[in-house]
Amino acid sequence: MPYTLIDHTADTGMRVSSPTVEGLFVEAALALCDIMGALTPGKGETAVVQVEGVDREDLLVRWLQEILYLVEVKGFRVAKAGLMELTDTDLRGELRGAYTGESLLVEVKAVTYHNLEIACIDNAYVAAIILDM
Amino acid sequence: MSGLNIRRIDPFRLEIARIPPMRTTGLVYANRAIERTLGDVQVLQQVANVATLPGIVGPSMAMPDIHWGYGFPIGGVAAFSRDEGVISPGGVGYDINCGVCCILTGLKVEDVRPRLERLLTSLYNNVPSGVGSCNRALAVSGKEFNRVLELGARWSVKKGYAPTDDLEAHEDEGCIAGADPEAVSAKALERGQPQLGTLGSGNHFLELDVVDLVADSEKARELGLFGDQVVVLVHTGSRGLGHQVCDDHVHGMISAASRHGIALPDRQLACAPVTSREGREYFGAMAAAANFAFANRELIAYLIRGTFEQVFGGSFERLGMRMLFDCCHNIAKMERIRWEGREIEACVHRKGATRAFPPGDTRLPPRFRRTGQPVLVPGDMGRMSYILSGAAGAAETFFSACHGAGRLLSRHEAKKRARGRKILDELLRKDIHAMAASRATLAEEMPEAYKDVSDVVDTITGAGITSCVARLRPFAMVKG
Repeated sequence: MPYTLIDHTADTGMRVSSPTVEGLFVEAALALCDIMGALTPGKGETAVVQVEGVDREDLLVRWLQEILYLVEVKGFRVAKAGLMELTDTDLRGELRGAYTGESLLVEVKAVTYHNLEIACIDNAYVAAIILDM
Repeated sequence: MSGLNIRRIDPFRLEIARIPPMRTTGLVYANRAIERTLGDVQVLQQVANVATLPGIVGPSMAMPDIHWGYGFPIGGVAAFSRDEGVISPGGVGYDINCGVCCILTGLKVEDVRPRLERLLTSLYNNVPSGVGSCNRALAVSGKEFNRVLELGARWSVKKGYAPTDDLEAHEDEGCIAGADPEAVSAKALERGQPQLGTLGSGNHFLELDVVDLVADSEKARELGLFGDQVVVLVHTGSRGLGHQVCDDHVHGMISAASRHGIALPDRQLACAPVTSREGREYFGAMAAAANFAFANRELIAYLIRGTFEQVFGGSFERLGMRMLFDCCHNIAKMERIRWEGREIEACVHRKGATRAFPPGDTRLPPRFRRTGQPVLVPGDMGRMSYILSGAAGAAETFFSACHGAGRLLSRHEAKKRARGRKILDELLRKDIHAMAASRATLAEEMPEAYKDVSDVVDTITGAGITSCVARLRPFAMVKG
């Protein structure tokens, strides 16, 4: 999975990259689920995520926040993530997986906006996202 | 903004000079030992970033347990004028009213030691902890849950979970006025409802300490502290409800900041004028989450009292169990402050900091008027904790003090250093007995992940903000 952990004194961060901006959103979703221990091989069920934001960074945070909610509250465990629509202000995505409610590895309180920027470096989209643990 | 200009003012204070767009200076409480823990300038940059926000009164401050946060630094204190200033969800943090309470017992360590194993196991079993912990037995819903959000610890007393005497022992008597359950989203309610009466995970804990040193015998006697006494510390907050309230409102305030023409050096500092619709809505929701946290700590105190009754027999009153104090760490409160000779109504943000009223402050209940407000400063799992009290010098911090030791290592680095080690055994060799829901949490929370709390306490007492009443030594704990 193309992400690395960022050392952050209070919390944890993840640096995610992808050749496309859509891919970045997908990889960020899978990285978050990997950190939480919310990945599953089973993909019989679907959850649709729809969010609005003021720009792509806002959309990225809100997309991840929705996934965090589905994982923590609804017990959804994720096998696959994909985007159906991504504009500067709207996102519609889909998660494949299962509502298993299996135990999580860690509690992520929130996905933060701290110094978040989606940048294009050497033909790859990258973002560093700080999670409040 | 870069190129901070930092100078030492005295043995306990560093100043960050005002460089535009900062509207004021930064003031960091740090002795030489704390200064060495600050690392690179990221954390000081966060102090400087807060200084750019509109309506800030006095300096942007950081307590000696300061460390790198998101938006505000952890340990940050900032006051904003009610009329010209802002309120920022990121200045409070996700775990709204995360805090610590201290429950006194009439037991000495030699009374507890013969039953320690049973006590610790029972506490671990009776107080739900760990990732995603829920408490179905204490769950309430609908209108009753709204009463929790409105009344906080008062709800716990009304329902018979806590004695009336506990109320005066809470900051603001366990209820932040102005709570608005209607401003709390359905998602926040859904996240929080099953979690009332749970400890959670991460740095949250329940700990048995022994009074190891009485530094001020008069104040200790007045507060009910004595040598070798067993006390219980509980650290937890508003759980998923608070996390979601912060999430909901940071998002809304990004647009609000733009509409109000507020430039943000970091989006996590999203804010709105205190008196704006967005500001008032956030305050109402934040106060509701804070009240949830007060009730949560009272319910955990109820479970702890019940466990002591099971293990030692007799009522908790006969066991001398009473709340010494319960304080907030992550909060924004409307307080009257004095700055440059003027009385100002301000919204004081404390993120990883706590309130510290001095002796004689009329806002304190009678039981603390002579001693000053107790300031609870938990250390790490393997070293000391402290009970301080607010001192006259706290006026310069708008009556704020440190909240703990402050992290030194990232969780990732702590886990790396814990690899191949048996942290439980290391603690046991120091006569500290621990039970943890997760081995990973134990590694993340190992003692060297934190600053030495004694350096933090030396700084804050040396600066005249607090005075030391007693030192505590941990001997048993439950980690989430």
